[in-house]
Amino acid sequence: MQKRIVTMLTAMSLMLPAVAMAASGDALFLQSCGACHKKGGKAATVNPADKAGTVWEKYFARGRHPVPTGMSDADLQTVVKYLMAHAADSDQPAAAVIPK
Amino acid sequence: MKKILLTAGALLAWTSCAVAGAGGSDVVSIPAEDYKAILQRLDTLQKRVDQMEKAESPSGKAVSAAMPNKLAKDVETIYDTLDKVETKSLKDRINLGAELRTRVDDFKLKNDNSYGGGGTDHNDNFWTNRFRLNMDAEIQKNLLFTGRVAVYKDFNSLGVTAPNDASQAHVPGNTSLKLDRAYVDWTPEGMPIPLALTFGRHPSSEGPPSELKENRLRQSTYPSLLFDGESDGVVATVGLERYLGWKNSGIRFAYGKGYQDSNQTVSYLDNGSHPYDDINVYAMFFETEIPGVRDSLLVLSALEATDINGMGNPNINAKLGNMSLYGVHAQANNVADSGFDIFLSTGLNKTDPNGNAPNGIGLLDSDGTTKHTGWSVYTGLRYNIPYKPMNNPKIGFEYNHGSEYWASFTWGPSELYNKLATRGDAYDFYYIQPFNDNLFGRLGYTHINYDHGVMYQVFGEPGPSNAVLDDVYFLLDVRF
Repeated sequence: MQKRIVTMLTAMSLMLPAVAMAASGDALFLQSCGACHKKGGKAATVNPADKAGTVWEKYFARGRHPVPTGMSDADLQTVVKYLMAHAADSDQPAAAVIPK
Repeated sequence: MKKILLTAGALLAWTSCAVAGAGGSDVVSIPAEDYKAILQRLDTLQKRVDQMEKAESPSGKAVSAAMPNKLAKDVETIYDTLDKVETKSLKDRINLGAELRTRVDDFKLKNDNSYGGGGTDHNDNFWTNRFRLNMDAEIQKNLLFTGRVAVYKDFNSLGVTAPNDASQAHVPGNTSLKLDRAYVDWTPEGMPIPLALTFGRHPSSEGPPSELKENRLRQSTYPSLLFDGESDGVVATVGLERYLGWKNSGIRFAYGKGYQDSNQTVSYLDNGSHPYDDINVYAMFFETEIPGVRDSLLVLSALEATDINGMGNPNINAKLGNMSLYGVHAQANNVADSGFDIFLSTGLNKTDPNGNAPNGIGLLDSDGTTKHTGWSVYTGLRYNIPYKPMNNPKIGFEYNHGSEYWASFTWGPSELYNKLATRGDAYDFYYIQPFNDNLFGRLGYTHINYDHGVMYQVFGEPGPSNAVLDDVYFLLDVRF
């Protein structure tokens, strides 16, 4: 049994990608969107759960963002995927609330 | 525009005259096709002039003015439609979601005399269905409701009766709908400190790190090694983020009951015929995101269960004593963007028996006088394979070890066996294959070596055991 576990763990560690991964969606969202969408910022705060996933997708596809986002197409796609993954109709965490 | 057209007409006429003059005669001779083309062109120009004149006429102005009116009417219609949709949406009040899981297991339990038949029980084709209806509502901005009812059953069988209230929705039974969770988070306004009150049937099952194996986000307040089951209670949470600067930090004070002893005829009265009363549970939790570690969780836990008794079991007709439980849980997802999610959870339990041991069943002993300490460690990792053609599958491994006197409150696990109550070693491998955003499959293998019995958790002396459980399973899970 122990041999099997060691083999499994070794195989899993080998799968660790050697290349650096691209910036994650949440980091991009905080950096790019959070620059304006914050308390006291140029734009109102925004939460991925404000809209459903497909609504987010259409929002940017239809060019509804009132000003240019300043992001590259690739970065915008990453952010849109992040928004969709945490949208109102996505899986949400469940725990007793912690007030801020 | 009119001037241009008149000029064009004059030029055409002049051109005709010039051509005629050049020929030295009043008769113009041009190809018939060119002549027709000129006429057609003139005709087209005339029509455009007519249209423009019409647009500038009093009646034409009315036509132009009609456009904004039409738009205004359209906007009004859209507003009416939105009002209807919004009203319908507000009247709905509760958002609904659902889950369905079908699972097949191949079990083999060896060397366990509890099951007779030479201590071996084998079921190579055990199927279950689990249906859950999820609900949530934002009653007010500071008043949130969350609920879940479930049916969990064997294929075409009435299954077994859940052993206690904490496992009603987590043991395969019949088609009855069970209340898994129904609670309200209330964050009162105007409080001097950030305070929230959570009351109802709590999100206390499938807690961290279960979500890794369940391929979803966090699903419970409490680390699953210490508490994994349905529970009614009240929790007061004080937010500490503004004081400590640590993201999502807070301290919780919880009260619940392990058992409420009530009169069978008049349910709100105590049961005077029992020499025992309620099992009260008091708990305190501190949790935070680990400073400097994105998407992480640290939970420090302390629980005390008082007057533990047999919960109606006639063989354990007495109070047995108290038990304390402590734990540390640390977890980090996608560590350093490596794709690895890791966790380490530890638990420590101490009994304080009161001398009672009816029928030789005391609190983790047989005489009711010996204090015992148990411990457990639970660790694991999951790797998110960055391979998009296969929808980024996941592979994971978990291990937990429990000592001879290890006991916690894990009555409602999502597995068919109580892995985290193991007094011995448990190894768990799994592979998650997402098919799309709503559907995934999981193939898993669990191997448990029991060193000591686990049948009644806190009741009685855990006897030595050589039991071995092997389980290979596959499940399909859909959520929407």
